[in-house]
Amino acid sequence: MSTTTRNAFVYRPTASPQAAANWTPRQVLMTNLRTVIGRAYPRVRGLARERSWVFFEILLPFLATSAFVYVYRALGAPPQYIGFVVLGGAMTAFWLNVIWMMAQQLWWEKSQGNLELYFAAPMHIMAVLFGMAFGGFVMSSTRAAAVLIIATTLYGVSFSIDQWALLLAVFFLTLGALYGLGMMLASLFLMWGREAWHLTQLLIEPVYFVSGLNFPVGRLGVLGSVAISLLPLAVGLDAMRQLAFADAAYPAGTPSPLVEAGILCVMVAVFVGLSRWTLAVLERRARQEGRLSVRWQ
Amino acid sequence: MTVEEAFQPDVSRLGSPAWGGFDPSRTAGRGWPDIRRSFATAVRLGWQMEANWTDPILFFIYSVAKPLASALILVVMLEVISGGSRPDYRAFVVIGSALWSFVQSGVSGLAWMILDDRERYRMLKYVYVSPSDFMAVVFGRGVARIGVGAMGALITIAVGVVLLGVPFDVARIDWGLFLGVMVVGVGAILAIGLMLAAICMQTRQESWSYPEAVSGALFLVSGVVFPLAVLPAPVQAVGLLTPLTWWIEGIRRALFPGGVSSIGGPGSLFTELTGAAEPGPLTIAVVLLATGAVATLAAVAVFRASDRRAKDRGLLDQTTGS
Repeated sequence: MSTTTRNAFVYRPTASPQAAANWTPRQVLMTNLRTVIGRAYPRVRGLARERSWVFFEILLPFLATSAFVYVYRALGAPPQYIGFVVLGGAMTAFWLNVIWMMAQQLWWEKSQGNLELYFAAPMHIMAVLFGMAFGGFVMSSTRAAAVLIIATTLYGVSFSIDQWALLLAVFFLTLGALYGLGMMLASLFLMWGREAWHLTQLLIEPVYFVSGLNFPVGRLGVLGSVAISLLPLAVGLDAMRQLAFADAAYPAGTPSPLVEAGILCVMVAVFVGLSRWTLAVLERRARQEGRLSVRWQ
Repeated sequence: MTVEEAFQPDVSRLGSPAWGGFDPSRTAGRGWPDIRRSFATAVRLGWQMEANWTDPILFFIYSVAKPLASALILVVMLEVISGGSRPDYRAFVVIGSALWSFVQSGVSGLAWMILDDRERYRMLKYVYVSPSDFMAVVFGRGVARIGVGAMGALITIAVGVVLLGVPFDVARIDWGLFLGVMVVGVGAILAIGLMLAAICMQTRQESWSYPEAVSGALFLVSGVVFPLAVLPAPVQAVGLLTPLTWWIEGIRRALFPGGVSSIGGPGSLFTELTGAAEPGPLTIAVVLLATGAVATLAAVAVFRASDRRAKDRGLLDQTTGS
């Protein structure tokens, strides 16, 4: 390697190989930042390169959303319920991304034979998870925006928003909590084989139900309260509905948006912290049991 | 008795013919018994792949949670709006969402078999070059997944009847219509699944979501959880050409006679075209048979064409990991 191609990330003059192995904090930070960008890159670029993704990723939630819109129309529901369904349909893009492309990703990488390369590379695996989350967020945002715009236009949904700042804060806090949960699940799935695939399936419709995807979660009573305290999708969706349809009669029984924003803040901290802890514990256990490179089990 | 025990090859016939040449008739296999054995083995393999990843209790919960949750979402939506004043519509949505688990498992089962074996386990090429009939293997694997879907559907209907007050009377079941419609309907579901399997043979790994997208589109036009009359007329026309619409209507009519019709009723295209309030059992059976036959013939033709193209382009052993 010529001197001109050397840079701070791969080379610095040292007295010995041992000294070379002791990275400076800057090297560690820059390598992890590059990892975040590197892992997010295929997801962001994939949006443009794999056109079928755009079609199916938008079509799938839009069709499901449309079906529930027609259910409410068949029942003669008030217009705000159509809006509830559209908002829920847009948020499913993030939930599906979290469980399919976050929670299940490390298991999938294991099946592809990439996981051992991740662990052998000189980077923190949390940086990989952050990169996955960032790329997934960008990817899902296009889906969610498309569903929201198309469905709002097609079904004539009108929003009434008084507190834009709080709505945006709740939206980003919901995403933070959702992707934190995804990072935690990704760590758990390190230990599993085919169970990961099936448990991912199990996290779709049942979570939609307890999160009140198409109806106010307060209608579920105690179950709804439990969902609000545990599931970011439930609490985030409830807060966003209250804020996005401020002029509509909203069923009582759930906390105010401000309180729900507080719950989301706690969730972000807990899920990200837990993901770091579970990743450390389960990585060690997976190494001990030789599960990091076992494929197709 | 295991499959291995059941198959006893005639060793004396495996050598060269007495005249020392090659006898092409030996490559033809035994016809139907071979196909039946391939199918049975594929069903068994598919069931084990579906079921042996966990203990039976968790597997049971997994199998019923999805369709049950889907039905509960609709029931709560109904209760929120009608306040319990529409028991007939509650039966409508419970049956529709229960039956839809059949469709989802059937449609995705066959397509995912191709993707699973090609992309994940990388066994598709070996399955293909084995003496088994390839279509029999694909169907066998799909049937196992339909079994899981059937279990979920049965439990959902049972929960609907026992806990959600769906009116059900065994004495009123039209068994003839039920059995006839069920057989033809499952055939139509498998045909749609086969068509998707053919498409997935041509596409890349990202096609995992195609079956969901297709079943989502069919969900919208098949009168599963709302009557077709609420849809625009052109979309209703598409729904009337789909065998699943007639299958679901037939099963509803057979199990819950006198309930809400998904095809007929005020404002529906069917009523506008025929003048009848709703289709009778004979109409349902005939149209289901006709649309199911068209779907089956189209599926076989598409699968054969896809099979030839996959061999031509080397797609059977091409993994497209991303």
